[in-house]
Formats: sequence, structure tokens, C-alpha cells
Amino acid sequence: MRVPADGLVSQMRRGALEYCVMALVQQTPRYAFEMIEALGQTGMLTTEGTLYPLLSRLRRDGLVKTEWRESTDGPPRRYYELTAEGRRALTAFRVEWVGFRAAVDGILQEAKKS
Amino acid sequence: MTAPHADQLIDGYLARLNAAADDLPKALRHELVDDVRAHITEARTRESEETDAVILNILDRLGEPAAVVADARERLGVRPPQPYRPGVLEILAVILVPFFWPVGVILLWISPAWHWRDKLIGTLVPPGGYLGVSVLALVAVSGRSGGCITMTNAAGAVIQNTCSHTVPSWLQTLAAVVLTIVIYALPLITAGYLAIRLRWGRQPQAVLA
Repeated sequence: MRVPADGLVSQMRRGALEYCVMALVQQTPRYAFEMIEALGQTGMLTTEGTLYPLLSRLRRDGLVKTEWRESTDGPPRRYYELTAEGRRALTAFRVEWVGFRAAVDGILQEAKKS
Repeated sequence: MTAPHADQLIDGYLARLNAAADDLPKALRHELVDDVRAHITEARTRESEETDAVILNILDRLGEPAAVVADARERLGVRPPQPYRPGVLEILAVILVPFFWPVGVILLWISPAWHWRDKLIGTLVPPGGYLGVSVLALVAVSGRSGGCITMTNAAGAVIQNTCSHTVPSWLQTLAAVVLTIVIYALPLITAGYLAIRLRWGRQPQAVLA
């Protein structure tokens, strides 16, 4: 069913996905398929193919760097890792997100009580 | 179980992706197609058994090529192609390609209204337009007399004229007439083709929201 907030939610999910992907490679380098598996369970990524333009974009913006590594069970894989700039961007987003979420939650809960 | 159509399905998907991404910058398009190809390879290694249905599911999860490309355009900030309205430049090109080939060809290649294949056809069929055809005809005529041996006596009078043709002369004449018509019509046919192939107000590919 289509709800009025449909477009907004999908746009928010789209925007937040970039930072979720960056968060996924913050600690350990990962290859794209691993990220898809991790995101798959969350419902954040419904069209798997769209991860690739996103990764291209992050790479072009210098937020992640990539490295090819041999794999034991197939062709080499491209691993993505957060750069220093990516780390800064992610930290900034974390601060913004926590504030935003707390504000919206607060207002929604307050409105429900009254 | 096996997937008898695996390669066909995957190649078809990648071809559709490549076609949908036609207007993306080349480097981006190649990267996208390469990434998706690697994704499919990776996904296949994870399946315990491979059937056509398994392949179809992998492709389904990737998403429709048009949707993936639309997302890529938005994500990478690539504007969808603007419709190009052909104008004076294109009309001049179509007229000048047969009649004043060098200028016509330059205009043809300047205009974004044709695909490069059509530009190539416009340039080479025939090379030089009517200019080229005339040169070609001259060469053909001068070459044809080479088949005859004319013997003259000291006074210059023809004593023997042997032509080494093995085909009947009427057939030769017919062939020459047909060839002449074809060659002389060719520049006009090409001009007509170019006019048809103009991308009149070609709409940009739809971008899914």
C-alpha cells in the first residue's frame, strides 16, 4: 500500500544508504557482495544492482578506497575501505543523525501522549 | 540440475544493462557493467546447485537494468540526455553530402543528430558523393577501353580492332546502364537514408523516480 510518506522514506533510505555502506567498511575492508549480504537482511537495499553506482560515487568522492585481493574460491575481489575523509564524513553524519532521530522521536512520542 | 540457458540469460541481462547505460560516461558505464558481471559470478559461486531459476533470481535481485541505470544517473549526477532538435545544420548536411561532399561530410560529423554508424554510411556510400561518382565513372570508362586491341597501319587507319570480351555486348551494355543508374542514384539514396535516420526530437530515456 502506498502511504503519503512513501517518497520521503525512500529518499531518506537512499540518502542514508551511503553512510550505512561507509559504516560497513569502517572497521574492516569488505567486498561488494559481503555488503549486499549484510544490507540484505535490513531492507535497506532492495535493488542489489544499485549498490554499484553508490560505491563508484563514494570512490570518486574519495570517501572509500579500493584494492583487489585474490580470493580462494573464485576470481579476485575488489575490497572497499574507508579513507580518512570518509571517516570524517561518517562521523559528521553520525552526529547529525543522532540529533535528527532524537528530535523526530521526541516530537512523535510527545504528540502520541497528548 | 543444470542451467542450460545460464550464459544466454546473463549475457542478455548485461547487454540490456549496457544499452540502458548508453548515455553514461564511458568509464562509468564500463565500471558498472564490470561490477555487475563480477557480482553475478560471485553470486553463482554461492549457490549449491545451479538452475535457470537460480540465475533468474540472481538477476531479479540485481534489479531491472533501466532501474539500476536510472539510480546510477541520479547517484552519480549524470543528466539524462536532452532531446536534440535537428535544424538547418542537418538539412544542409543532407543536401550537401551528395552534391558537395567535403562540406556536407564535415556538417554531418559536427551534428549530434546521427549515430556514428549513419555518419560513416553517409561518408562512404559512395565516398565523395557525386564528386566521387564522377571520378569513379571516369576511371571505369578509361579502364573499359583497355579490353580492346586496336591495330593501325602506318597511315593511322584501323586495320584490326579486336576486343577481348567474352560476354555478349548487349549484356555488357545492360550491366553498364544498371551500374550507372545505381551509382548515380546512390548519393541520393544515402541522403534519403540520412534524412530518415535523423533523430527527430528523440526523447531522452525515462528516469525512474
